[in-house]
Amino acid sequence: MEVKEVITETPDTTTFRLQFKDPEVAKSFNFKAGQFGEYSVFGEGECTFCIASSPTRMEYLECSFKKYGKVTSALARLNVGDTIGLRGPYGNYFPIDEMKGKNVVFIAGGIGLAPVRCIIDNVLDLRDQFKDITIIYGARSVADLVYKNLLKEWQERKDIKTIVTVDPGGETPDWKGEIGFVPSIVEKTAPKSDNSVAIICGPPIMIKYTFPVMTKLGFREDDIITTLENRMKCGLGKCGRCNIGNVYVCKDGPVFTYTQMKELPQEF
Amino acid sequence: MEEKIISKENLLKLCSDLLKNNVDIVTPGEKGYIKIKNESEISLNSKSKHTKASFKEYVFPKSEPIIYYKKNQSDVEIIEPKVEEKTTVIFGAKPCDVRSISILSKIFNWDYKDEFFNVRSRNTVLIGMMCEYADEFCFCTSVNLSPTSSDGSDVFLVPHDENTFGVKIVTEKGADLLKPYENYLSAGNSEKTKAIEASVKQPEKVFDAEKVRQWISGNFENDYWNSIGKMCLGCAQCAFVCPVCHCFDIVDEDYNYYEGRRMKNWDGCQFDMFTKHASGHNPRDDQSKRYRQRISHKFKYYPDKFEEILCTGCGRCSRGCPVTIDIKGIVTEINELAIK
Repeated sequence: MEVKEVITETPDTTTFRLQFKDPEVAKSFNFKAGQFGEYSVFGEGECTFCIASSPTRMEYLECSFKKYGKVTSALARLNVGDTIGLRGPYGNYFPIDEMKGKNVVFIAGGIGLAPVRCIIDNVLDLRDQFKDITIIYGARSVADLVYKNLLKEWQERKDIKTIVTVDPGGETPDWKGEIGFVPSIVEKTAPKSDNSVAIICGPPIMIKYTFPVMTKLGFREDDIITTLENRMKCGLGKCGRCNIGNVYVCKDGPVFTYTQMKELPQEF
Repeated sequence: MEEKIISKENLLKLCSDLLKNNVDIVTPGEKGYIKIKNESEISLNSKSKHTKASFKEYVFPKSEPIIYYKKNQSDVEIIEPKVEEKTTVIFGAKPCDVRSISILSKIFNWDYKDEFFNVRSRNTVLIGMMCEYADEFCFCTSVNLSPTSSDGSDVFLVPHDENTFGVKIVTEKGADLLKPYENYLSAGNSEKTKAIEASVKQPEKVFDAEKVRQWISGNFENDYWNSIGKMCLGCAQCAFVCPVCHCFDIVDEDYNYYEGRRMKNWDGCQFDMFTKHASGHNPRDDQSKRYRQRISHKFKYYPDKFEEILCTGCGRCSRGCPVTIDIKGIVTEINELAIK
């Protein structure tokens, strides 16, 4: 795939807009919101991220990544016109058809907005098929917020409710959003749980403390959905590192409901 | 199952002919299984100790290229390597080792079909041999195998005496291999084979795998895991010598900026980096969690998913462990906890 655009989200987070080089592949490639891919920089290796863009917008595929290790550092060095590899799409996806006709709450923390963004855009592109939409997004500091332009766009829309928060101490003097950890902001916002689905993604600690809040608000455990991003290599249910008990996150996930997660060995 | 007899002399001739016909022969050597150049190197000793490593690497190499790439100014060319379709005969493998192929084929075929493994295993003919070696680490009978099991072998040898072998032709693949060499074989004596098999010392059955599976299901948080995890160094030699451990890593190796290859390398779940996320979060951040994964994968997760125990009872992991962790002892203890 060719890098068509490089967007610097934060000092260490980058988004790529990508296009297939082979028009045949571009035509035949399709995916569903929630699936992931193995992106590669030849000579450096492969890395696993979700496809951050929506399947309703196929002119580009987007992926967002934080610079951490060998491959993400190599990705961060790439420029417009460079080539990367993509294997995928792999894994299951968000149950968008079952979400239709319901209220949807999106909750994300940090770079965890990337795997949720695909389904947010997907839902927004089919806006009239859903009821109330709430987006709650938080990051450690103002500088760590990703998709700043999108956040602004969402906040300006009248038909959705968007709340952006930063952890205490992460605010700037002119910060106008909320200050507080994601779970407490969710509790404060108290999105209604009737006929609602919640999609949550963020650091494990955020997920852990947000689940009880959701149950307290009255959400059914089947309607609390998250996406797990375990370390993966093959994406094909073989290499043996993403499993939780006898479930392979790359095959049976990455999307799980709270009900399913409770049945698994608690090893995320 | 058809049965024949072959003399040692003819067996060596058979090997010599196979080598001449460009067939690779792999046999237990001093350390691991070795590819032989001359029939005299063949191992015909059913009393020999297990090799340090199994023959896993001949169907699932330690390191193998999965793609080659060439970069130029604006594009990347990807070349997919083809596995050579060449017959390999694994000669004189113990029943526990032989069984590994059918166990491994489950993981390599349950979803995506791994052609690297499939081409090699399709071209591999397994000549197993009855095992008359059992030490304190062996426990094949506890994982539903036995020293006389021909399960998984294409041809199975039972030594009648020093110079004669009973030959069981188990599969069509085995029959096809032997067909051109029929004149080396004479009429079988299944009575004698049965008598010899009955006299072989079987390792004592020390645990009930089903009970172990059930105990693991309900004891994810049991303190027992902490006690064994504290001993483990996390060197993963157990995974490398295991006939059925199959975890791997995928890494790129560049020859230079423009060319290189992507490799699939053996990996092990006992390494602390194995499941570590980029963020630093690690779902198995403690050696006891990693050891719990190892035992649970072998005796619960894999049986749950594929109806096969991910263990052949060969005892290699225990023999080689630098801190003498004995898997047989551990699973026996779990069995006792299950009975309590």
